[in-house]
Amino acid sequence: MHFLSRTQVITALGAVGLAILVLELVRRRRLSEEYSLLWLISATTIAVLGFSTPVLSGVTRALGILSEASTVFAAGLAFATAMLLYISIRLSRLGGEKDALTRELALLRFELESLRRLPGNAGRAGEDPGPGPAALRGPEES
Amino acid sequence: MSFARVLVIVPAHDEEASIGRTLAELLAGARRAGVPAGPSRRPYRLDALVVDDGSRDGTARVAREAGVPVVRHPINLGVGGALQTGFRYATERGYDIGVQFDADGQHDPAYLDPLLEPVLLGECDVSIGSRFIARSGYRAPLVRRFGMRLFAGVVQAALGQRISDTTSGFRAYGRAVMATCQFDFPRDFPDAPLLIVLSRRGFRLREVPVVMRERRAGQSFYTLGKSLYYPYKNLLASLMAWLQRPA
Repeated sequence: MHFLSRTQVITALGAVGLAILVLELVRRRRLSEEYSLLWLISATTIAVLGFSTPVLSGVTRALGILSEASTVFAAGLAFATAMLLYISIRLSRLGGEKDALTRELALLRFELESLRRLPGNAGRAGEDPGPGPAALRGPEES
Repeated sequence: MSFARVLVIVPAHDEEASIGRTLAELLAGARRAGVPAGPSRRPYRLDALVVDDGSRDGTARVAREAGVPVVRHPINLGVGGALQTGFRYATERGYDIGVQFDADGQHDPAYLDPLLEPVLLGECDVSIGSRFIARSGYRAPLVRRFGMRLFAGVVQAALGQRISDTTSGFRAYGRAVMATCQFDFPRDFPDAPLLIVLSRRGFRLREVPVVMRERRAGQSFYTLGKSLYYPYKNLLASLMAWLQRPA
C-alpha cells in the first residue's frame, strides 16, 4: 500500500463533492433525475480513475496514452462533450415543443376571443389587449 | 360547381406601417376575384387571416381595424411558424387552398388568380409565384443573387425540377399539403428545404410567373444578421430533406 498522491486526494474529494452536489440538487428538485444520471456517472468515473492508481494505469496503458493525467482529462472532456450534445438535443426538442405550444395557444386564444364576441357573451368585445409578452422583452431578431 | 374556399395567410412581424394598405388592397382584390379568369372557371371565395408573429407594435390592431381576423403568437416564431399556424387554422376550418402572402406589400393581389389556377385545377399541390420567369425588372443585390442561384441549383439537383425562385414568399398550398404541414414543417425559413421536403412527400410543385414590388416599410425577414446563418441552415436542411426517404 503506497501513500496517496496529492492529485489523487484532490480528484477524489472533487468527485465526492460533485456527487453530493448532484444528489442535493436532485433532492431539492432543482435537477431532474434524468440529468443527474449523466452527472453521477461522470463523478463515479473521475473518482475511480483519480483514486485507484492500478485502474488508472491500466486504462492509460490500454488506450496507449502516455500520461495518467491525460486519461483523467480525456475522460472529463468526453463527459463534457456528451453532456453538451445531450443538452443540445434536448434544447432542439424543447424549441420545437415550444413552437407547437405557442401555435396552439395563439389559436385557442383566437377561438376564445371569437366566442366572447358572440352576442349574449358579455365581455370586452373587440378590445385590443395590447402587444404580447414579446413586448416586455428587449429588442430581438425575428 | 361549388365554391373553392381560399384562405390568404398573412404572416406579420412588426408591420404596422404597411399591413393596413396591404390588407385593404387584398380585400379589394378579393371582391373582384370571386370568379377567376383563365380556363379553370372554378369560382373561389377568399378569406384572409393575419398571423401576428409576436409583434411589438400595433400590427394586430391595424389588421383588426381592416376587418381581418388576427391570430397572435405571444412570442416570435419566424415565418415558418406563422405559416404553420395558418395551415392549422385553415385545416380546422376546411379551407381548400392556403395562400402565403407578405404583409409588406411586395405581393400584388392581381396575381392571385394565376397563382391559384393550377392548384384549383388540381394540376399541382403547391404553386410558387416566381419573379424570374417573366421579365419583372427585379434585381436583387449581388450577394443575394448568388445565394438565390445556389439554392435554385440545390433544389434542382434534389427535385430534378427547376424552381427559379426558391425564396418566393408568394405561394398557394393545396389542402393535403396544409394538412401534412400543420404538424411537421421546417422551422425558421420556409424556402429551399420546404420545397425539397414537399417534393419528397410526393407533392407536385409548379412555378407561376408574377411581378413583385419593393417592400413598403419595415424590415425584410432576411436581415444582415441572418446572412451567414441562413445559407448554412438552408444548405444543411436541404441536404437532410434530400437524404430522407421519400414518403
